Amino acid sequence: MAFYADKDYTVDQTVLEAAQKVMAGQLGLHWYEAKTERIAGRASDPRRGLTYQDLDVGTYGYTNIPEDVRTSQSMVSRGSEKVGKLPDMGYVVNRKSDVWSDNVAELYEEDKARRWVPAIDIPWNELHAHPVAPELEMACAQLYTFLQECQLVAMDFPSKWVALINQDFLEQKSWMCAQMLDASRLFEVFRKRALYGGAGLGRASRTAEQGLKEWLWADQFPQGSVSINLSLAGFLLVLYRQVAAFAPTKVDRAIMRYAMQDGARQTAYGLGQLRYYLKHRPLEASAMEAYLDHTEHALLGLIGSPELLEPMIIICGGGLEKAQVDNGRIATAKFIRLVVREYMERIAAAGLAGHSKRSKIPAMVDRISAPA
Amino acid sequence: MAYLSTTNFAEDKDFIDKWLYTIRTGEMDLGWMKSATEKISPEEANPRRGLTYRDLNLGTYGFTDIPEKVRANRSYAPRGAEIPEGVPDAQPWVSRKSELWAFNTESYYEEAVSRQWNATTDIPWDRLEGVELPEVTGKALSQLMTFLTEVEMIATDTPAMWLPRLNPDFIEVRSFIAAQAMDEARHAEVFRKRALTTGWGLMQASPINEMALKHLRDADSFSEMSVALHLVAEGNVLTMFRFSEYLSPTDVDKKIFRLVMQDEARHVGYGMQHFKYVLEHFPEKREVLHAHLDEAENISFAGAAATELTESFIILAGGGLKKENIEQGIRVTTQFNLKQMQEHFERLDKCGMPERKERSKLFQMYEMGRAAAENAGIKL
Repeated sequence: MAFYADKDYTVDQTVLEAAQKVMAGQLGLHWYEAKTERIAGRASDPRRGLTYQDLDVGTYGYTNIPEDVRTSQSMVSRGSEKVGKLPDMGYVVNRKSDVWSDNVAELYEEDKARRWVPAIDIPWNELHAHPVAPELEMACAQLYTFLQECQLVAMDFPSKWVALINQDFLEQKSWMCAQMLDASRLFEVFRKRALYGGAGLGRASRTAEQGLKEWLWADQFPQGSVSINLSLAGFLLVLYRQVAAFAPTKVDRAIMRYAMQDGARQTAYGLGQLRYYLKHRPLEASAMEAYLDHTEHALLGLIGSPELLEPMIIICGGGLEKAQVDNGRIATAKFIRLVVREYMERIAAAGLAGHSKRSKIPAMVDRISAPA
Repeated sequence: MAYLSTTNFAEDKDFIDKWLYTIRTGEMDLGWMKSATEKISPEEANPRRGLTYRDLNLGTYGFTDIPEKVRANRSYAPRGAEIPEGVPDAQPWVSRKSELWAFNTESYYEEAVSRQWNATTDIPWDRLEGVELPEVTGKALSQLMTFLTEVEMIATDTPAMWLPRLNPDFIEVRSFIAAQAMDEARHAEVFRKRALTTGWGLMQASPINEMALKHLRDADSFSEMSVALHLVAEGNVLTMFRFSEYLSPTDVDKKIFRLVMQDEARHVGYGMQHFKYVLEHFPEKREVLHAHLDEAENISFAGAAATELTESFIILAGGGLKKENIEQGIRVTTQFNLKQMQEHFERLDKCGMPERKERSKLFQMYEMGRAAAENAGIKL
């Protein structure tokens, strides 16, 4: 055990006495005049319900959380009166700019409102009613194997950090819990699709996993967030759009629609977090650029992975015939260019406007030649 | 940087050349098409229920055949996929099935996904319009909600921090834990929202409870964490939610407690099934779990001294601060305290640890409390 309660309460006479006193009707009511702000929160728009934005008021609100949270290290809910000896939970993320994004409360609310259920919201029977050609089905199974690897990492990132983040950032932590469930649900739907199609799973990707682990294991939250919430999520968002456009079945299209809405939320947070971070910590911009220079090669590990590239060519072309492969590689080349273009646009929109000029990635992508 | 990929892909000429060549020519290796993986033909057992994880419990993809010690996979490869050389080690801490498994895990997860509710829109907040509780009731309710926001915070962080430590082969457990983290975030949200709509705001923190609850987070193994969190703490909270629903001053509060109860019951269900599983499949762990329960039950003792909670409960149960209110409140609170302990030991009994009663100081306290309550004419 790393932690034992401060006392053995089973032999502590004061505990027994305190309990006996109250249960004998002698109430101390020390909490009754708590020195906290009195508010009666109400929904600003009853149709939308009572949101976290409606409660962004005074000491309870998130707008007024200071940049450095120095006085809260326990479980105390923001705005409560702190009394007595409270435990130190060992948070290592105590600066608002390290985690915050101006859209985080909205994203959390949206996440809950857009819940869906892979077991029942996907028309699974369509797969059996309208099976696709075996080589196309194998390509789908391979693509969905790859996507499961990505979602395992997307699930691990918020889980790994959430307990290390100060409890005052409640809306942020809640959003991260929503991200965990989103990733779990996407993993589930990708696995179900791969297995229900009958081709089984394909092969895991060495290059993708190596890149993903480098991103996941970033040793600071802002860096990890850029990698997972912006680079990975942005890449997946383009991928979902691409697969939706070339989806071989209604099932794949339905899956990608749900994946897009979840992926778009994650990307919006990734962009918002980086923007907030750079706005409040401008001196960190060069360090962040250096981090990107060092790690964005991992994006190549993903988009260059044969376990992704080849099934994408087959899916986008519709099969393995020469004409199909030609169409597929042209569409896949466009997809890769789009991934990199959108990535660079997001990085610029967040505040690193010159990054595309120093990054090695655009030059690599410029070398792509996909003649018809 | 904490980890560096074994390859810098931007500098790997062979990798880049092959990538560009494939796009330029359309010549593919297609090695993945020859993956040595199983082909299966799953069916939906019940179309109304949709396609569940249980329907996919087949062969190498299923959870039934996961070995007790997972040696073959330590990467991010999904269970059943072909794993090539060179994939990284995900560094899982828990790769032994009996350390985390529970009968029915996949169903607990599927249920969690289908029963997600929304604290913003599924609670009829508009019905609080014009409702003004007496000061004493309003403050007591706010104090109870304040305590519950602290509890839910630890209930969010604790399972979440274990998730990345679990071997990716145990995807159903990882998914259940992800769903639990979301459940707890929603609970923290709904209790906070309710406190901030009473007109009093949040009240006072509970130092004794916080100090005791910290214990939940720092367990040495997943099983110990689970017994303390899912079985002891959430078991106690489940009883508390039931009583709180009964004591609720408005329909809005009743709705809140009904919704959180369904989530909490799922977490306790998982905890019980896991406890049973670990006792049956990893008998050497029994003494370790006893020792951990000694500490977990110490938390229950500590709770008795957290008078900010007991007093608010007495007020809500009695309906006020007059003598007769307090007397009634004490009767109900006594029943609640005893019920909490009784259910705790019943759960341990059902899971296969009947001998716990002989060792537990909490059980001695329960017996003394029950005898005293009976003498005072209070029945369980």
